[in-house]
Amino acid sequence: MRNVKSLVLAAVAMGLLTAPLDAHAVWFAQRAKQTALIYGVGADDLDAVKRFTFIEKMTGYDANYQPIKATPRIAGPIVLVDTEQQPTLLSVVFFNGIWSRVGDGEWEKKGRDEMPNATISTKNYKYSVAIMGPLDKPVPALSDQVLQIVPAGPIPKTMGEKLTYKVLFRGKPVAGAKIINDLINDPDATPIETAADGTVTMTVRNQGLNVLHAVYKGPTDDPKRYDWIENTATLSFVLPHQPE
Amino acid sequence: MKAHVHAMLIAVAAFGASPSLAHGSTQPKHGGIVSLSGETLFELVTAPTGVQLYVVDDDDPVDAAKMTAQLSLDTAGKTQNVVLAPAAGNRFDGPALQLKSGDKVGVLVIDKASQAHLGTTFAIK
Repeated sequence: MRNVKSLVLAAVAMGLLTAPLDAHAVWFAQRAKQTALIYGVGADDLDAVKRFTFIEKMTGYDANYQPIKATPRIAGPIVLVDTEQQPTLLSVVFFNGIWSRVGDGEWEKKGRDEMPNATISTKNYKYSVAIMGPLDKPVPALSDQVLQIVPAGPIPKTMGEKLTYKVLFRGKPVAGAKIINDLINDPDATPIETAADGTVTMTVRNQGLNVLHAVYKGPTDDPKRYDWIENTATLSFVLPHQPE
Repeated sequence: MKAHVHAMLIAVAAFGASPSLAHGSTQPKHGGIVSLSGETLFELVTAPTGVQLYVVDDDDPVDAAKMTAQLSLDTAGKTQNVVLAPAAGNRFDGPALQLKSGDKVGVLVIDKASQAHLGTTFAIK
């Protein structure tokens, strides 16, 4: 019986260890009243400090969507974000490396040039935008966000209302991006694909932090090393709670 | 379009401004407007002689001398940054500002020792 239990635990552990690369994402969230950059999936708030050098670019935007300085800073076991003024938006570009694997084997951080027998090789970029302040105009396509989720209408005040989003690839609406509504609380949800105009309409799930997650495969720019570029994007925003 | 923009403004004006009585009073004490971000209450007072910002953290007044404060006034598509000077108690002072409906005032207060950032945005109605 004990052996069976051990086998089950091992199988579960293997499943977790071999989670698809696109399952993990970056997003912004509050930690002890500070804005932090989170790397993980679901309730797993993983080691962003270890991956600090993967942060290629971080930018804040004021209410007029003009860029302002935003600087990631290691603070103990987490990565905080310092801005030179109160931001309306935050964005990040996070390069998660080139990974390959053979069949269902474990992912290795190599390109096909180093692992010629690989059946899959991908280059992985993760993008994120957080809405930090009140909006009075639509969120624009941000030049450094190759993949970006933008709200296509006003953000409702309460959960349960519908909201249409548009997924942009290189600034233009893209069909076929796979999007889930709640990366934190429902990470295994079946993704919905964006329509021809790049839109998808979903119900806002949380009276609190909402983190949507989109995945889109872009064409390779180095076919000898990887088959495609796996782009993931998150959009985070908060619906305030009622008085306590 | 106007209604759409108005709805969008109303919908998100509460960012960082959810009332939370568990963390102390959310009423203005100096005749200004207030915004609550988590457990930090910001009160902005505009007067012909200057602007004042009061900061209360979990019902405790902060020590302005240990912090820096800055306002970012967004009006008609332009942003103006205003550095405030620490004043008595939890008050920060700055030059007079002419605020009108539709403006937004970002507030960023930084603890000099811990580098903790506290902030909110006022949407002027």
